[in-house]
Amino acid sequence: MQILTQLIFSGIALGMIYAVIAFGYQLTFATSDTLNFGQGDALMLGALVGLTLVNAGMNYWLMIPLVCLFGAFQGAVVERIGVRPAIKIKSEFGWIMSTIALGIIFKNVAENVWGRDDLKFPSPLPESPIKFLNANVLPMEILVVAGAILMMLAVELFNRRSIYGKAVVATFNDRDAAKLMGINTGLVITFSYALSSMTAAFAGVLIAPLTLTGATMGAVLGLKAFAVAIIGGLTSGMGIVVGGIILGIAETTTGFYLSTGYKDVPGLVLLLIVLAVRPAGLFGKTAIKKV
Amino acid sequence: MKTSQLLLAIAGVAALLLFPVGIDNPYYIHLLETIMIYAIVLFGLDIVVGYTGQVSLGHAGLFGLGAYAAGVLVLKLAAPFWITVPVAILFTAGFGALLALPALRVSGPYLAMVTLAFGTIIQILINEMSFLTEGPMGIKLEKPALFGHKLDEREFYWVVAVLMVLALIVVHRILRSHLGRAFEALRGSPVASDCMGVSVYRYKVYAFVISAGFAGLAGCLYAYSEQYISPNTYNFELTVLFLLAVIMGGRKSRIGAMLGATIIVLLPKLLDDVVLFRYVSVALAVLVMATAAVAIRRGRATPVQMAIPVAGSIALAGLSFWLDTMTDWRLSIFGVIMLFVVYYLQDGIVGFVRKAFNIRTPQPGAPTEGEGRAQSDAVSTAAHAGASGDLLQAGGVLMQFGGLKALNNVDLTIRRGTIHGLIGPNGSGKSTMMNVLTGIYVPTAGSLVFAGRSLVGRTSADIALSGIARTFQNVQLFGEMTALQNVQVGLHHSFRSNLLDVALGTPRYRREREAAAARALGLLKFVGLESFAAEEARNLPYGKQRLLEIARALALDPQLLLLDEPAAGLTAPDIKELMVIIRKIREHGVTVILIEHHMDVVMSICDTVSVLDFGQKIAEGVPAAVQANEKVIEAYLGGQDAADPHAATTTANA
Repeated sequence: MQILTQLIFSGIALGMIYAVIAFGYQLTFATSDTLNFGQGDALMLGALVGLTLVNAGMNYWLMIPLVCLFGAFQGAVVERIGVRPAIKIKSEFGWIMSTIALGIIFKNVAENVWGRDDLKFPSPLPESPIKFLNANVLPMEILVVAGAILMMLAVELFNRRSIYGKAVVATFNDRDAAKLMGINTGLVITFSYALSSMTAAFAGVLIAPLTLTGATMGAVLGLKAFAVAIIGGLTSGMGIVVGGIILGIAETTTGFYLSTGYKDVPGLVLLLIVLAVRPAGLFGKTAIKKV
Repeated sequence: MKTSQLLLAIAGVAALLLFPVGIDNPYYIHLLETIMIYAIVLFGLDIVVGYTGQVSLGHAGLFGLGAYAAGVLVLKLAAPFWITVPVAILFTAGFGALLALPALRVSGPYLAMVTLAFGTIIQILINEMSFLTEGPMGIKLEKPALFGHKLDEREFYWVVAVLMVLALIVVHRILRSHLGRAFEALRGSPVASDCMGVSVYRYKVYAFVISAGFAGLAGCLYAYSEQYISPNTYNFELTVLFLLAVIMGGRKSRIGAMLGATIIVLLPKLLDDVVLFRYVSVALAVLVMATAAVAIRRGRATPVQMAIPVAGSIALAGLSFWLDTMTDWRLSIFGVIMLFVVYYLQDGIVGFVRKAFNIRTPQPGAPTEGEGRAQSDAVSTAAHAGASGDLLQAGGVLMQFGGLKALNNVDLTIRRGTIHGLIGPNGSGKSTMMNVLTGIYVPTAGSLVFAGRSLVGRTSADIALSGIARTFQNVQLFGEMTALQNVQVGLHHSFRSNLLDVALGTPRYRREREAAAARALGLLKFVGLESFAAEEARNLPYGKQRLLEIARALALDPQLLLLDEPAAGLTAPDIKELMVIIRKIREHGVTVILIEHHMDVVMSICDTVSVLDFGQKIAEGVPAAVQANEKVIEAYLGGQDAADPHAATTTANA
């Protein structure tokens, strides 16, 4: 029982990371109906940049805003190079391929800059577990959950309360109409990519102390976060938190009771099943196709 | 096939077969062998990417399945070559079907992610199921034996070459057949495919299964070729490399696939040799600059557009001199090439060359001399023509979208052999009615009986095959296909040939193909478009596109034809012609439902007219009576009570 509780706790922490990355998918999908296939690599870059800053002697907490800034910049670059030209020529194939291409480039650059080995990220909090509900919980896990929730709340508040956020929502509802109303929709889309990669980079520095950091850490995380985005629905904020936690727990329990080699399988299978049965996700709304 | 092309093909195959005789170096033989194996994968991948227009990131996984099917069979059962090849193909094709199941519901980025997840799962399974696959250790195997004789490197090369040529012929035949047209139609307009009786679901699955079969064959050959397989070969990079090869070589082209395979096999070798790469990158930079200069001078591109590729190629050349080894940067270079291809070489190298030298794409499906005797009257007489009675009965049809009732208790009875007008202001539910009748929407309540059978809950493709054809208000042609091919998609139901018939080119398939080509030309003649047969549908003027939709719908041999605003956007003489065509259609016993805003058209050719307003039927009768009906006049022109309570809620699509 104690082990199960513990697995659930680490599952929740992991799930919140998925939720944050999935949240990034939602942001760009909301404004431009596009997704960054290199989202996992944005996370990986964030973690590695954070590691470099920490190794250079910077305080973990001071490093976070800098990494966020870097993430935002990286997201804007992805949008400018990979997404904007594709939107202009209305090519779905175009943005899928170009975000994949950028993802590969980022990963390869990271391999060459930081090496191919996984690196240890020093934990900013004590690494001795604390007792909670009779189970061991790492302080870092609590930080992950709190940080993830705060990040999502902050972006949501911004979107709902500020006039810039209204522009984002307007662009989501009708890109052409928003453009006619004087909203610079191109800028809004760039901004959404910046926000999206920023959340991913933030998730990277949150998760890094719990796992190892390396150029290959992003790919599978990005894919599983997509599973979460689909399970939760690309339009539902609540959905991704629930979806993330489901997946996180499924993964930690599979890893423990079956084999760590199989830990990625439940998420991917869940993705296939949800898409086969209910493509709009458990919480999303189905759109009516018009002819 | 023209004689010159045939000679060229024979010369190519001969050169391929004689290669190992001339060059004895096993390294080069193995290199060419790998290129051919990749080409087989790409033939299959092109079906999914080029024809159905979906992105598959799962083909490295499928390729791996083929390799492991062969590897495990050899390891555990010491199976001979003639067993491993068919088993690998069938096994992988089965997984292709499995992969297509979630793909039924989704497309585009979702499908890309699904296939990526699928590929990842396969890699994990191969890694973890060590009892079967030896896990990360991999499997070693030897070159196969054929007829009791163990093949050496050169003999195996010939086996691969023969199988590749066979694969090429089969895939070429499939893609030029009605199956290929069905795949292409999915991409052009899924809705129209369904309404032409070509089930989007079914053909998506077919496309994946056939594609996977080729990946399986290639994987199996790869296992023998490398003589060692391990899970890490079939990773994300390989899948991206396959995709890059397809789009770089050129979609919808077998030459493109072979070119793409050559590039992705040779490029890593090139990057290993930094000196050679320096020469190549400088040559490339010069070539790009020359192309840009020519393009700018001819006014085909602006300096700003050309700045990026020019700067990029110079940067690449500079990079090659700066770095001592390129191998580590391999993936970045692939990524940059991919970006370049996506934005500057969208039709691939083959497409680029075709455009530069003004070579027209060969158009499959066009009747050659001798078989092109178009019937002057290709419209088939509808089944049960001349019989009287009701063809279609709709009772209390309710179609609700959230709180909006787009159709509210509509009753509609269509008599056989009549032209039935359906009119009403915009947003009154006319097109919704069409969509309900063709199975695109399932009505919330109510009954629909067509020729004695209920339509409710049946798929669009099924309904179309039972005899209801339609045109679309916003034209839904298969844009990249020719006018003739568009009509041939409508004739899909006339083919009984299966995959084997197509691959072998049996007499049955040839007979059906020729009949369909002649029929399609006849139908084009019927609507007066025979001179546009070889033109791509998207290049036709708007009015002609509408006529082409009618010809395509007639190809289904319908009992009931739904025309959704056929006269919209037509000029006055065209409208006259259209009216003649519609009358002629009726003479063939085809019942017509006509949605139209041109009242003179409706009033002069319809036998009965029904009027919809806010989803309700407000009048019905002969044209003259309807025209005089006060309710109808009020609906169109507005009545005394200007404060119409409905006025603010009309949002249903008209």
